[in-house]
Formats: sequence, C-alpha cells, structure tokens
Amino acid sequence: MLTYLLRRVLLMIPTLLGITLVVFSVMVLSPGGISAQTLVEGSDMKPQEKQALMAYYNQRYGLDQPAPIQYLRWLNNVSPIGFTQDAEGDYNGFSFTKGMDLGMSFMYGRPVREILAERIPITLLLNAVTIPLIYLIAIIVGVKAAQDRGGRFDVFSNVSMLALWSVPTMLAGVLLLGFFASVQHFQWFPTAGISSRAAQDMPFLPHLLNGEFVPGFLLDRVWHLVLPVICLSYAGFAGLAKLTRTSVLENLHADYARTARAKGLAEPDVLWRHVFRNSLLPLITVSAGLLPSLLAGSLIVENIFSINGMGQLAVEAVKGRDRELVLSITWISGFLTLIGYLIADFCYTLADPRVSYD
Amino acid sequence: MQKRLTTKDWILYALIAVLITLLLLVMYQIDRQWLRLTEMQTALQAQAKDMRDLRSAVSSGTLARTDNAATATTPAVAAAFNRAHAMTQQAGYAQGDWSVNAFGNNLKTLTPLVSSDAYASDVQSYVLESLITRNPDTLAWEGLIAKSWQVSADGLTITFQMRDDVTFSDGKPLTADDVAFTFDFIMTEAIQAPRDRAYLEKIASVKANGKYEVVFTYKEPYFEALSLAGGMSIFPQHFYEPYLKTPQAFNESKGLLLGSGPFQMPDPKGWTPDKGNVELVRNERYWGDVQPSYNRILWKIIQNDSARLTTYRNGEIDAYGARPKEYADLKQDPQMMDKSQHFEYMPPVAGYSYIGWNQERGGKPTRFADKRVRQAMSHLTDVQRVIKDVFLDYAEPAVSPFSNTSKQHDPALQPYAFNLEKAQALLKEVGYEDRNKDGVLEDAAGQPFEFKLTYFDANEDTKRMVLLLKDLYAKAGVKMIPFPQEWPVMLESLNKKDFDAITLGWTSGIETDIYQMFHSSQAKTDGDNTISYKNPELDKLIDQARATVDEATRMPLWQQAERIMYDDQPYTFLMRRKTLAFIDKRIHNLQMTKLGLNRGLLPLENYVPAAQQKYQQ
Repeated sequence: MLTYLLRRVLLMIPTLLGITLVVFSVMVLSPGGISAQTLVEGSDMKPQEKQALMAYYNQRYGLDQPAPIQYLRWLNNVSPIGFTQDAEGDYNGFSFTKGMDLGMSFMYGRPVREILAERIPITLLLNAVTIPLIYLIAIIVGVKAAQDRGGRFDVFSNVSMLALWSVPTMLAGVLLLGFFASVQHFQWFPTAGISSRAAQDMPFLPHLLNGEFVPGFLLDRVWHLVLPVICLSYAGFAGLAKLTRTSVLENLHADYARTARAKGLAEPDVLWRHVFRNSLLPLITVSAGLLPSLLAGSLIVENIFSINGMGQLAVEAVKGRDRELVLSITWISGFLTLIGYLIADFCYTLADPRVSYD
Repeated sequence: MQKRLTTKDWILYALIAVLITLLLLVMYQIDRQWLRLTEMQTALQAQAKDMRDLRSAVSSGTLARTDNAATATTPAVAAAFNRAHAMTQQAGYAQGDWSVNAFGNNLKTLTPLVSSDAYASDVQSYVLESLITRNPDTLAWEGLIAKSWQVSADGLTITFQMRDDVTFSDGKPLTADDVAFTFDFIMTEAIQAPRDRAYLEKIASVKANGKYEVVFTYKEPYFEALSLAGGMSIFPQHFYEPYLKTPQAFNESKGLLLGSGPFQMPDPKGWTPDKGNVELVRNERYWGDVQPSYNRILWKIIQNDSARLTTYRNGEIDAYGARPKEYADLKQDPQMMDKSQHFEYMPPVAGYSYIGWNQERGGKPTRFADKRVRQAMSHLTDVQRVIKDVFLDYAEPAVSPFSNTSKQHDPALQPYAFNLEKAQALLKEVGYEDRNKDGVLEDAAGQPFEFKLTYFDANEDTKRMVLLLKDLYAKAGVKMIPFPQEWPVMLESLNKKDFDAITLGWTSGIETDIYQMFHSSQAKTDGDNTISYKNPELDKLIDQARATVDEATRMPLWQQAERIMYDDQPYTFLMRRKTLAFIDKRIHNLQMTKLGLNRGLLPLENYVPAAQQKYQQ
C-alpha cells in the first residue's frame, strides 16, 4: 500500500507539470494578453501614464521576455528545489530548501500565496458544510427510495430529484434570492455575503442583551450560509440520490442479501451492514470528482451571493489575464483532483476488502 | 445480534462530551470578554460625542454668546463649508446614522497611489483632503486646507497659504511640510505610483515656505496647474515616511490610509480585502467648521445586480443606480417608489460615447481617412433615434468631447442630424456607387463599402445600439458587421490600432483635455489617438490652449478646436448618458448642483432626521 501511495504521489508531478504547461500556453496564445491597461479599470488613462505603467510591469514581472523563458522562470519559482536568485534577479546558485514562491498577482499587486490564504478558508467552509449535506441527503433519500421501490416515496423522490437536477444553479440562485431574501416576498435570509455587518459587534453565541435577543456571530454565519449552501448542494444530492438508489436496489436483490435474510438477520441489519457497504463503491467513485467540481461549481454561487471565495477569484483572474493567479489556481484544482482520486482509491480498500493495491 | 456498549465506547463518549463542554466554555469566556469590551466602547463613544458637541459649540460661538451677549460675533464658517453649514440650520437636522453603499466588485487595495479603481478613490475621498475644492454652485475653486493662493504672472509658481488649525485624524497637525513630502513621496521611483507621476512631472518642485505656506513651481505653463497642485491629496508625513525605506511594503499594502478628512479608517493600517466590507468611522478630531452628520460610512460588496436591487429594496443600502430600461420599469413599482427619492441628472463630468473611425491601418490610409466619408457616417448615425429607442431619452446627444454646459463648448454648434440624402451625396462625391446593384456601395476599384464595428460584448445597451445602427447604415448601402469583443481583446486591438471602427466612451472633466485622443503626436506612440487622426491646425490649438493659464484667453482656443473637430468628425460623437438613481427617503437635503447630486460631495451635505435613523453606534 505504501509503495502504491508513493508511486501515485510521484506520478502527480509530471501530471501537474503538464497541466501548468497547457494552461501557460493557453494564456500566452489567448488574444488580449496581459497589458498594463488590463490591470486598471476603465480606459481613461493618459498615454504617459500607460507607458509608465507598462514599463513598470514589464520590469517587475519580466513580461517582455520570450514565453518559454517566462514559463521556466515561473516553474523555478514555484518548485521547492531549484535555482536561487540574488537581489538583481540573476541566478546564482542551486538550493534544495529555497521553498515555493507562487509569485505576485498582477491585478492585486500582492503575493498570490496571501490572496489564496484569504480565499481558500471561505471555499473550504462552504464545502465543509455542503459535502456532508450532499451525502447525508443523498444516502437517506436513495436508500429509502430503494427500500420503497415502486412505492409513493420512490416515485415522488424520483421525480423531484430529476427536477432538481435539471434546474440550472444560476436560475436557482436568483430565484432563491428573489423569493427568500426580498422584502417583496419572504425576507427570511440575507442577500449577500457570509456575515452581516452587525455580526462584528456581536458576541459569538446567541445572547439576551438588555432584554433584546442578539443572534451572535455563529447564528448569523449559519443564517448567511443557508441560501448559498442550498444552491451548492441541490444538484449534487439529486444526482447522488439516484445513484444510491440504483446501487442499493441492485445489492438488495443480490444473492448474498438473500442468504443474509435466510440466516434470520433483521432487515435493517441486512441493509446497513451488508447491502449498504457494498453499495458505497459507486458513491466513492463519484466523490473523487466532487471535490474539484465543488471548487469550480462555487463560482456561480459565489458570484450570486457575493462571497469572496476561490470560484470568484478564478473568474477575476481569467478576466484580468492574471497569469500567476490563474496558474496557481489551476495548479491547486489539478492537485485537488488528483488527491480526490487518490482518496477515492484509498476508500475502495476500506469499503471493499477485495480491493488491494499491493 | 444485540448491541452492547463496551467500556471503550463509554470512554469515547465521555471524551467527546468533555471536549464539547470545554469548547462551549471557551466560547462563553470569549463572549464575556466581548461584552465587557462593548460596554467600554459605548462609554468611550458617549464621551467622544460630548467632546464633539463641546467643540462645535465653541467653534460656532454659542458658548461665547452666553458669556457676553454684547460681543456676540457671527460664527466664522469658511466658504467651502457654507452649504454644509446651511444644512445644520435646517429644522430636522440631526447627527447620527450611517451611510450604507454598495460596490459591485471586490476592492483590491485602499492604499492611495497603489489603488487604481474608482471604488478605492471613492473611499479615499472621505479620508484624504486637498488644498482646494470646487464650489458645487459656481464651479469656482475654494480654499479647503488652503486659506488663499496666488498664481505668478507667468503662471509658473503657485503659492498657497494654509489654515493653521488642521490636524490629521491621529491628532498630528497638518503643515506645509506634509504637502512638500506628499509630492516627494509620489515622485520617488520605488513607490508604485507611475500614473500619478505622469501628471506631477510637470511640477519642478514643491517647497514649504514656513509652517503654513507652500510653493509649487512648474517647469512650463500648464492650464491645469492650479487643479493639479491644489487637488493633490495630502498625505501625513509621519505616517507614510517610514515606507520610503521599505517601498515594497507600501506597494503591496492593502489598507494604508490616513488623512485629515471627516472620516477615518478604524485602523489605518489594518484593512484587508478579505474583510469584504469597507467601513469608515467619524473622525472625532475633524478640524472642519461643520462636523459630518453620519457616524459611519459603510460599503458592502454586492456583485450580483439582482442581489443589489433586492438589498436596496430591503432597505439595507441607501442608493441604487439603474440602467435606462430598468429605471423606467422601477418607476412604476409602488414598493420602490414608496421608499425612494429618484433622480435623473446629467453630471458635468459625464463621459461621452463615440464611434472612432480608424484612418490608418497597417501603414495605409483606410476609407475613413477621407473627411467626407466620416461626415457621411455621422449623418447616417441617427443619434436621436438611438437615444430614444435604446436609452429611453435618458441621454443627450454629444457634439464634441466638451460637455454642452462647459465653457469650452461653442453653443452655435448643433449635433449632426440624420440626413440620408446628404450622406449619400457625400459618399457619391468620394466615388462610392452601387455598381453591381446588390444594395451595397462599391468604390472605384469595385470593393464593397463594408467594415467591422468593434464593441464591448458585455454591454446590453451597446449591443442594441450597434444592431440599430447596422440597419441605418444599410439604408445608404453601407454594410456594417458587428464585431463583439471581450475587454482585454478590445484593448489589445486598440493598442495595435487594428480595427475598422470602434465604439467606446471617454470620461470628461469639468474642463476636458483632448490632447491624448486628438493630438497627432499621440498617434505615433502608444498614445490614445488610436484612430491615427492628424490635423496640424488642431495640434497647434491644443498646444496653445494647454499652455495658456488664463481662462479667458484659453476658452476661445478650445472653442476653435471644437469647430475643427466638428468639421473633421474624427469620431462620430454619440451621447452623454444621464445618471439614474434611487435613493432612500431617509436621506435628507439631497440637492442638485452643477457638480451633480450633492450626495457624497465633501463637505457632506446629507443627514438623516433623528426619527428616521436606523443605526445606533
């Protein structure tokens, strides 16, 4: 198992290199390119300013060098081992401990690492709430539908899951906002952000202050997350519930399930101890793609609900042709995809003892 | 099978229970500290308010009057604060409440010079102040931090006498040294301010002459010399000077913002973009003759348009700017009208949109190099109809780069009217005829008159306008191919001058400088004369006007330049669009001035009557 893991991790290196090479080439070839004017909003910049800014960026980021050299320089910067630079930018030695440098974002004029450190926790928070929710609902609905095959619940859940699955996130987001956040209908939830301004002046837990109820930071955060999480999760659990249902159904009629029943096991034990475990395999396969897709999927939701997460950052970076940022984001999502597959493979061995990689 | 809890399970459960209890206890403890801090903060705020009341009582002379009625003097309020002072005399006037606004995009940094977007300068305008400011009624310059100023006869030196009672929000006095420092700071190569340096390069030196007098010396006469010197935001030397040693830290900073304005950052070094919102609090030490009414100014980040509208409807932001169609619809909406005041106005700095005809491509003149073709195109572009159909009359036709209300504009000039016959006659004169009877004009060589109109693909209104124009041009046998482009791609084709015709907009100022778009010298370089328009006569006038400091002699020069452009039609000037806004009824004393609506103009002239205030602190 350990050698297998090691092999897989080592294989990631060429894959990630390939990803960055492709992305870098696309960035270089795409029309528009990085220009000083792309970096500032609006077009009212005087020629002197424009030239000054252009010269400044060229000098600072080496944009005037040929593309392959720019790529190699970038690669050297991000690789944990490589050549070191002195203050003038000349290469003066080779080091195994120089550490990774993701570079500077053109648009933000700040280290990419810092920007990512700001944004990743927000996306993680969203996913940490969404992924368990997706699985919880999918498994409950899927298993119940399988048990009730052909029954009222089965038909109802089938239809509603299919309906949910086909609603585009963009539309759902706007509808949710329009109905559940607007004063014209039900103003139950907030319209934007992940916490309100007032939460800054609140204690963490709900309190009664001078006879007035204060929801507290925690409750406020939960309250803000409701609509985005619904938006992020419904398509996921709708698809997964269908998958769970099929897979559980298949196993419920398998020979081993009949044997277990014949042995006198109670039906819940048959279901949860034997059938469910075997039905997990397809769910695990899907989970491999879930992690990276949530990162990308939060793009729309983050935009509708004005949440400063990775999805939004990715859009901004591509729009602004911010090369370092785009490369870092693709690198991270590529890495997450690979890790997702690795975790899925590892989970197979847990769910099914017959699977082994030795 | 029967499940039984083993000892192992019990230990596990116990551990989890202990962990949860500990977590709850920690939260509780943190909350206790929090509540205590809130109490202290409330007490401090109450004290600050008392101080403020006392100070304004002293400065307005109320206290002196009670001592000795005989020596009562009229309160001395500087001219710049006259309008704000008039507001404080209104019946319902009260201090308090917050101004809440929305930004459509994330802010990248609030640090002045480094920031490049309009949002950041919006925030900075409440914090940083300059020597002089424009009077919203007369558009004349008035002293803010400067008491008075003299311009030398040759226009090369400007001397400002400054007020001696101005302090930054941290209590340190603002002196002439700070002004001189600001200039030196911006001109330091290592500081990321190439844009500001490009303007200020015209200044040879800024010297403090004593504690409250500062002298700007120019290298050459320049028509905007006064606004350049007087409009420069003043940075506190003690705050920004350390960054001269670590310029990188300044260039990469997110929120280094401290000034003498009526509002301040709660922590002048601590803001970061991940906070999302931007919040300014009242500067308790504000030196001005009138204290601002709001306690705080808050900007929320709301990217999605429909979310922004919903938030406005819910009463969580104070203003909503609408597009023409939306504005017309919302005006019929009772919920919206019930809570809003609505405004449609033309700010004097409203930019104009245009179609630029590229006159040179790949070193060769294009068909638009002939002035008659451009005139014909202007006659074919039915601006009135575009304004009526696309912008629902919320715009006015533009004659030239100069605003119709500006002194630079010659009122005798009328916008080009739609005139099919005239256009056809002009085109025939150049040699365009429909030789093969296919409905499209051909030139002498048999090449059809067709061109691509490049436009920004994300703007709905532009899209509709381009389609309308396509039909209009087709009437005269001119084939236009709409060519939507993404923003960076569009900028690239602009820089490479690689397009047939393009539609875009320019922002204007109170006085608009046309050097960068229309001077021949700007066609050669990376300049903004992207259509390669050259007219030596116009060049001479532009140069002359820019070097004329005296307004009375300068304005006729601009008008002469305008007439040349009117005849040449390097651009087909389209229109200036009105600002359409809904503002919460809570906000009082909204007035129309020559600078537009007085919301957000400093010194602040809006307030919320005590009964309608929403936010306490």
